[in-house]
Amino acid sequence: MKRLLTAAVAAAALWATACTGGHPAITPPPPSGNYTSASLTGTYAFVTSGEAITSGGTSATPFSRTGSFIANGSGGITGGVYDVVNAGGTSSGPITIMSGSSYTVNADGRGTLTFNINSNGAPATVNFAIVLTSTKDGLMMDETASGNQASTGSGNFILQNTAAFGSAVSGSYVFDFSGVDASVSPESFVGQFSASGGVVTSGIEDANDNFTLTNGAISGNFAPDPANSATSGRGTATIAGQTYAFYIVDSTRIRFVSTNTGGVGPMLTGDAIVQPTVPAAPSGSFVFLVAGASANGGLTRVARFDVSGSTVSKLLMDVNNAGTETEFSPSQLSNASINYDSTTGRGIVSFQSSSTNVYSFVFYLSSASNGVIQEVSPNDTSPAFAVADGSILAQSGSPFTSTNITGPYAMNWSGLVTSGGTFANQDEEDLLAQETIKSLNLSGTYDLFQFTGLTLDTDRGSTGSINFNGGDGTGGDGKSATLNVNLSNASQIHMEVYFVNPQLAFFANKDNNGAQRIVAGILKAQQ
Amino acid sequence: MKSKTRLLLLLLMLAGSLTLCLSLDAQQAMPSDAQLLRTYNASREISLVGTVVKYETASAVPPMGAHSIIQTASGQVDVHLGNAKVLEANHFTLNAGDSVRIVGEPMALGEGTYFAARIVQKGTQAIAVRNAKGFPLSPASTLTPAQREVLRGVR
Repeated sequence: MKRLLTAAVAAAALWATACTGGHPAITPPPPSGNYTSASLTGTYAFVTSGEAITSGGTSATPFSRTGSFIANGSGGITGGVYDVVNAGGTSSGPITIMSGSSYTVNADGRGTLTFNINSNGAPATVNFAIVLTSTKDGLMMDETASGNQASTGSGNFILQNTAAFGSAVSGSYVFDFSGVDASVSPESFVGQFSASGGVVTSGIEDANDNFTLTNGAISGNFAPDPANSATSGRGTATIAGQTYAFYIVDSTRIRFVSTNTGGVGPMLTGDAIVQPTVPAAPSGSFVFLVAGASANGGLTRVARFDVSGSTVSKLLMDVNNAGTETEFSPSQLSNASINYDSTTGRGIVSFQSSSTNVYSFVFYLSSASNGVIQEVSPNDTSPAFAVADGSILAQSGSPFTSTNITGPYAMNWSGLVTSGGTFANQDEEDLLAQETIKSLNLSGTYDLFQFTGLTLDTDRGSTGSINFNGGDGTGGDGKSATLNVNLSNASQIHMEVYFVNPQLAFFANKDNNGAQRIVAGILKAQQ
Repeated sequence: MKSKTRLLLLLLMLAGSLTLCLSLDAQQAMPSDAQLLRTYNASREISLVGTVVKYETASAVPPMGAHSIIQTASGQVDVHLGNAKVLEANHFTLNAGDSVRIVGEPMALGEGTYFAARIVQKGTQAIAVRNAKGFPLSPASTLTPAQREVLRGVR
């Protein structure tokens, strides 16, 4: 899931309105499932994005990590390195994950990661909650709350194929790097490149830096990190003039984080996904989620459409623009069009809700069912309405019902929440949960970190429900699906949910019940 | 010295913006073309002068963030000030009765409009709360180089 652009930080300890009143405390269900410590075995590439406040700091600052850790299958983290980049550009890395680091995994796939590291010459720890979605991947949430650092953020980890570490980067890839520029204004890059022997031989990108859209050719190169390449897949790269650290996941994916030797530059993270061949023009049903910011504030869009040839139909889109939520039904979205370049996988889909509200998105497909997407409204002209990007995926497996939406799922959301009280403010909120879905009802356990008051809740019970509102669950029939979530001692949170397939869904909040929010997230089935 | 330099810079920005002052009445100044109101355009900036009626660090009214109701000569205007933490980081306070000058422009959101502030001035203190493209600033936008260096300790 794409991280939302975060705002500032709360220093005072407050109770957010989201966590007072409302639903009573919920007893978490006992962990059940087949996961064990052995489920986390091997070398995993991870990424988190969020914000941190350090000892003596006056405000929290957005930052991202990307790296690699080695789990021994019995609760030990035996090594690893990672890179950190902060908003404004200071970067650190590779940071060594030291001996004594550890992890836990419960039967339900929930667990923890604890990294022992060195911070400014002194021992320190960083802590994460995790939910395994298989033995090969999972979701994670930063919940460090020590005297040195409090940090939150959401991300994921993927099993690396260490056999791929020795290979020079080659092949065609589609990428999405997003974050903030050196001035801490929003920035997004999506594109496609082909590399051979660690050199980008051709490439294009669409950039949106602080509402200015550009596109054009890019160049670049990759080099292994002699000290860490063999154990973590780490290397360094320059793409379109920006330096990055990268981590090879396997032959299909590379993770990137920007590095800035001078201490000033962008904070960017993202993945490049292999594009084995340029896919044919998109056909069928698609769901997309973009997140970012407009001049009003935080922005999320989650939407779906059908495409056949040049005809785009059955549009549905839910928007949260700085706390104002709007659902556009198929009858409210018109003049849809799509064009596609079959030599690169680049396309643009556009539609409108009125003559003055035109929505345009550029996308790059890595396969017929997977791609990255960036908002270029209105009509691909600057100034852009927003800086926002995310994922576009083929929708399959419908109708979605209680029969195929069932079993254990990991759930994560990230974004902004407004707290109440005397010192009311807005700040980041991250939630990571494991939920069992039965008869479209949810029951599970969550961790929640609200930076509005540096309030970390762990191991709390949650319930919820999914409602297809009489439709087939795709939204293509104009009947949107909703997800209501009950957290302990909080007002019910209402989401619009778009199922990509029975194993994956995107969601975003549909109203401000309980608290003003701008969050988006995913539900992902556990294997 | 650095803070004085920043203040001077902001005042210069403010002075430049004031030359574009179109009206003290934000309501009358709103362009009729709704599309113009979707994006922030510095060429449309105007200046509001008035008195603070109400200030909320986190209003329930969108857009998310700090809002102030400003009494101008021609009526009350809902002003969005972005992230309250930016004001707090600059030790900038707003209280009912304060006289303020605000540079910004009307923006559309949902079915309504609001006034998006870019610079807020009270007395001789002027604070930027949006960048020139209209993006609401965060406290991280205002960090000094020394404060950025401290972030190297983030793990």
